[in-house]
Amino acid sequence: MTDALSLTAVPPGLWRETIGGLGRRGGLPLSLFAAAGPDGFPEVRCLAETGDGLMLAVCPALDGAVPSVADVVPALHWDEREARDLHGVVFTGHWPHRPLVHHPADLAEWTTPVTGDDVHQVAVGPIHAGVIESGHFRFHCVGERILHIDVRLFHTHRGLEHAAEGLAPDEALPVVRRACGACAVANSVAFADAVEQATGRFPDDATRRARTVLVELERVYNHANDIGAMCAGVGLAPGAMVFAHAKERAQRIIHDLTGHRFMFGAVAVGGSGLSIGADAAAGARGALAALGRDMAAAWRALLFDASLRDRVAGAGVLPHDEALRLGVVGPAARASGVGRDLREDAPRLWYPGFRAVLPAEPVGDVAARMEARAVELAQSLALLDDLLAGAVTPGSVTTVDSGGRHGAGRVESARGGTTCVVELEAGTVRRVHLRTASYANWPAVARAATGAILPDFPLVNKSFELCYACVDR
Amino acid sequence: MFVLLRQLQRIRSECALPRPARRGSLQLRHVDAGSCNGCEHELQAASGPAYDLARFGLSITASPRHADVLLVTGAVTTRMRGALEIAYAAMPEPRRVAALGDCALGCGLLGDPSQIAGRVEEILPVDLRIPGCPPDPETIARHLRELLAR
Repeated sequence: MTDALSLTAVPPGLWRETIGGLGRRGGLPLSLFAAAGPDGFPEVRCLAETGDGLMLAVCPALDGAVPSVADVVPALHWDEREARDLHGVVFTGHWPHRPLVHHPADLAEWTTPVTGDDVHQVAVGPIHAGVIESGHFRFHCVGERILHIDVRLFHTHRGLEHAAEGLAPDEALPVVRRACGACAVANSVAFADAVEQATGRFPDDATRRARTVLVELERVYNHANDIGAMCAGVGLAPGAMVFAHAKERAQRIIHDLTGHRFMFGAVAVGGSGLSIGADAAAGARGALAALGRDMAAAWRALLFDASLRDRVAGAGVLPHDEALRLGVVGPAARASGVGRDLREDAPRLWYPGFRAVLPAEPVGDVAARMEARAVELAQSLALLDDLLAGAVTPGSVTTVDSGGRHGAGRVESARGGTTCVVELEAGTVRRVHLRTASYANWPAVARAATGAILPDFPLVNKSFELCYACVDR
Repeated sequence: MFVLLRQLQRIRSECALPRPARRGSLQLRHVDAGSCNGCEHELQAASGPAYDLARFGLSITASPRHADVLLVTGAVTTRMRGALEIAYAAMPEPRRVAALGDCALGCGLLGDPSQIAGRVEEILPVDLRIPGCPPDPETIARHLRELLAR
């Protein structure tokens, strides 16, 4: 197996070098969170790619403190803020330490001071004008120009990770899935992978294929939704409506195949119960092909729509180096020229020979993020065409080793790399941490919209089209 | 643009949505009080081309001040309770509250009790209950039309 998880105990004195130096050694930190250690005292855990596998580095919080790595790994900035709010761990050197999950009334406690001639604040949310999830943005502006954005999320924090603790994995799965409706499959598969890894099991071919079908179906309806949302963001009703209908068609196909429009309940821990007969698979394959043709024609029309091009080209640029620095994932990263895609190395799913596709000009603007969705849609439909060439049969898992206490699952969701780390104890979930692609990318939304004008924010925001629920959990 | 409009024309004829007989209209304001985003997707789909809530006179309005109905999704989190109450207070009379989805109705998997203020019913007077996880656009449209008849 190529995805073994190695556990590494790191003393506080070496924590900064271990995590901060990963980049120099060809590694990449993926998520950081706090948990109660075996002795009950808090510890900080960091999941990382080391260059030859996955590592879960663990550092005890002596006197409740751990050295901060947020200055050397800005991608973990939010992770540290969350760990302090939820587990009381102090990150030495993280200054100013602004709350992330907690919502203090005092503005000075959580916003960045921005001063100067004519600087003013525009507060938006948590309730927005459309049918949108809840979140609060504080724009620091001069005139219409955005100088800085403070994002306050976690309005829909339901404490799902905490609620899942103490449950058996199959009972915890629906709780974890509840984190997000639109990423239900990706989050569920990441959780199932993590549990299976922790128990030394590996999915068989049928399970891997079934899960890949579900993950790709989820990507198809999400990407169609996102392209439509970007059209709506500039007020281009025909584009918005055509892609809204494409999404609806995709969800009807999904309902026919799985019995649920968001595939709730289609993923299980320890196997797959999904069964699609050869006729149903052929029907879906034909319907997806027709959908693909209509979307391709609509996409070509959008490419030649001058008023749309005028708004999306050059808007909300996220430069390549900033995408790398902030640890951006998914279509947003690929639109900035970061050619990473977890599907290239996904032993627990079914992606033989997969290569990430990038937009033709990955310059990091709204146009590139829109095109990233379009090229990935075609790719996902091609994958599904292959996967649905025959029946999808139920599968199971095989025992490959004795497992360990910890497991990690990684899935490329529609929004990018999603990571789930699970710790099991006596057959129940002791700690589960879900770091979704939306969590990774929210800081980049604020970065990309900096310098834009206020009326462009909804467009820039929609070009990332992140979930709030996925972050808030 | 021509291609898009032609596709739209085809969508319109394929959906073959019947014209509603009943007259009247309601302005809806949606508040996500702690949803997983599933209900939001379905509410958006309900106002999209395949279901087109607007043909019943049901449309989403930007401000609670212009709303007849407050559509609440999700179990109400402690962090959203205040905003929800402010939105309700901003609505003119007569006003209605619709609880959309199983979480809002308190029958879903909600999360850690310390983070949840309660189901919508415990915070606001609920006039309409739309069950489902999430309720599909058809169900949403059907229940909202009931409200139109009241």
